[in-house]
Amino acid sequence: MTDAQVYAGRAAARRVAAGCSQREAVWQSGKITLFRYRPIARPAGGVPLLIVYALVNRPYMMDLQEDRSLIRGLLAAGVDVYLIDWGYPDGADRFTSLADYIDDYLAGCVEQILQTHRLDALNVLGVCQGGVFSLCYCALHPKHVRNLVTMVTPVDFHTPADLLSKWVRKINVPAWVGEGNVSGEALNHLFLSLMPFRLTQQKYVHLLAGGLDSARLENFMRVEQWIFDSPDQAGAAFQEFVVWFYQENRLVHNTLEIAGRKVDLHALQLPILNLIGKRDHLVPPEASAALKRLVGSGDYTALELDLGHIGMYISERAQREVPGKIAEWLAAR
Amino acid sequence: MEPDLWREWQALAAQFAPWAQGSAPSAQGSQGRQGAGGFAPFMDSAERFAAEARSFIESSANASASSVVDAARKFSDFLRDQAAAVQPPWGAAFGIGNPNAAGTTAQWDLPALGATRETQQRAQRMAQAWRRMDDAQRRLQRLWSDALREAAASFAAGLGTAQPGAPSTEALNKLYDTWVDCAEDAYARMSHGEAFCGALADYVNASSPWRADLQGVIEQWAKMLDMPTRSEINTLTRRLKSLEERLRAESKEPKRKERQAKVAAVRMRPLRRKAKA
Repeated sequence: MTDAQVYAGRAAARRVAAGCSQREAVWQSGKITLFRYRPIARPAGGVPLLIVYALVNRPYMMDLQEDRSLIRGLLAAGVDVYLIDWGYPDGADRFTSLADYIDDYLAGCVEQILQTHRLDALNVLGVCQGGVFSLCYCALHPKHVRNLVTMVTPVDFHTPADLLSKWVRKINVPAWVGEGNVSGEALNHLFLSLMPFRLTQQKYVHLLAGGLDSARLENFMRVEQWIFDSPDQAGAAFQEFVVWFYQENRLVHNTLEIAGRKVDLHALQLPILNLIGKRDHLVPPEASAALKRLVGSGDYTALELDLGHIGMYISERAQREVPGKIAEWLAAR
Repeated sequence: MEPDLWREWQALAAQFAPWAQGSAPSAQGSQGRQGAGGFAPFMDSAERFAAEARSFIESSANASASSVVDAARKFSDFLRDQAAAVQPPWGAAFGIGNPNAAGTTAQWDLPALGATRETQQRAQRMAQAWRRMDDAQRRLQRLWSDALREAAASFAAGLGTAQPGAPSTEALNKLYDTWVDCAEDAYARMSHGEAFCGALADYVNASSPWRADLQGVIEQWAKMLDMPTRSEINTLTRRLKSLEERLRAESKEPKRKERQAKVAAVRMRPLRRKAKA
């Protein structure tokens, strides 16, 4: 393959846009937008599903392209899907706290959906950090959630394989964050540092070594766009998240309070499906699997898939298995 | 007279890179070369490298297999130390990085007195923080070079005997993947370790007060020029957030307020009747 071919292939793929399913904004508060996806199949008849994504990356990873879209898979199964887009925090959001995110913004989205559908409760799918938020919300508002799905969600932040946790354990986070936001770019470097040879070299070598068919290249470019499209983090919420979860492991020690109220996972009685990536380098499988021993639910299902953190949303195997499993599990409850 | 182009170039380079003057890896050598236009550290470094390389090559050529291994280890130790001793150019700008740099240590350790006391103390704190960052950075570099050496040893041990003829693309890709696996394994062992986590934390924890003091300096300038400071904007942001929270809290519970109003109305009724009577 010549340099000209490589260049031409990359140039053709550079304008790819992520996100493929039709949706509309149904509610907004500050920079937060609640989207509802248009159905593409006959409704399955259950209550709506609200997807709560992490703050550290953009949620379009859930709907990257037609053949790599968890949302599309859920829509095809007749699920009524909502998604929270947290937006891009700026300097004016530096004092936004976890209580604001969970007890105001997330709670506001849930209330909006419940009012629209005249329901008492809905289903929630929390992804990664969004899974932590979902667990907190369920503990604070148990009556508003019927079923909870957590995906690659850290619960025990002190497992031996958790490199991020080891790195931040001795850092004076309040001093480091100060009163500012945390740059998304800095976090990107941190995530790349977890596996520097694979993430900054090998994947690009593999891209070139594997041939440059346009579909593969476009898929690569969409993922690349997503990886480096990292919003800055509201300083206060970031600080609380790192100290309370990564350093103090409050979920495990049952010492977490949000908005002045205790978050007690033992009190969670609702059905829970926990999706775990066996090859997840960001959230080690043990960190997610710990949920089982912490919740009081008698209907807990763990599903371990031989996938990495990102592969859980966009790999071919994930497309075949994950949406169907979720829809099936929800339909049975 | 012929112009001495080398000397002129050295003088020019020294003007544009004054930091090179104070960042010598070897204080003794550089002090003896103060007239070398700032190139002394690099010349010292190059000479030491040449000496070590010569020693390695001679040992490898004339000795037994075990001595060759020892020589290779000694040479890689030297390279590792060189990597750990690399000085960022901005370190010298703050008088740190080279404890023997003329005057810097004494200057930053003077007791702070008089009208400029606060400014001097702030500068001293920043210099101290920078030294701590520099120290942590050296430890991180050393660990990084250890991991690379371990990765290289593991890679070399797993290579086996090379096949005759030119290697295929597949074989090269496999070789590359093997190298990445070795490197990631070595990096993982190092980065999970107490020494790396400690050095990383020390680096970040030293950078925080340095940045805070730098912000203080900028705020002081902003005040002098009557420009808005970050602290003022933060105060306003906090007030705004507090108002937003109150508004949200009020709009969150209209039913509760309605109920309270109804209860209040019921309580008022007998009073009104009494008042009419």
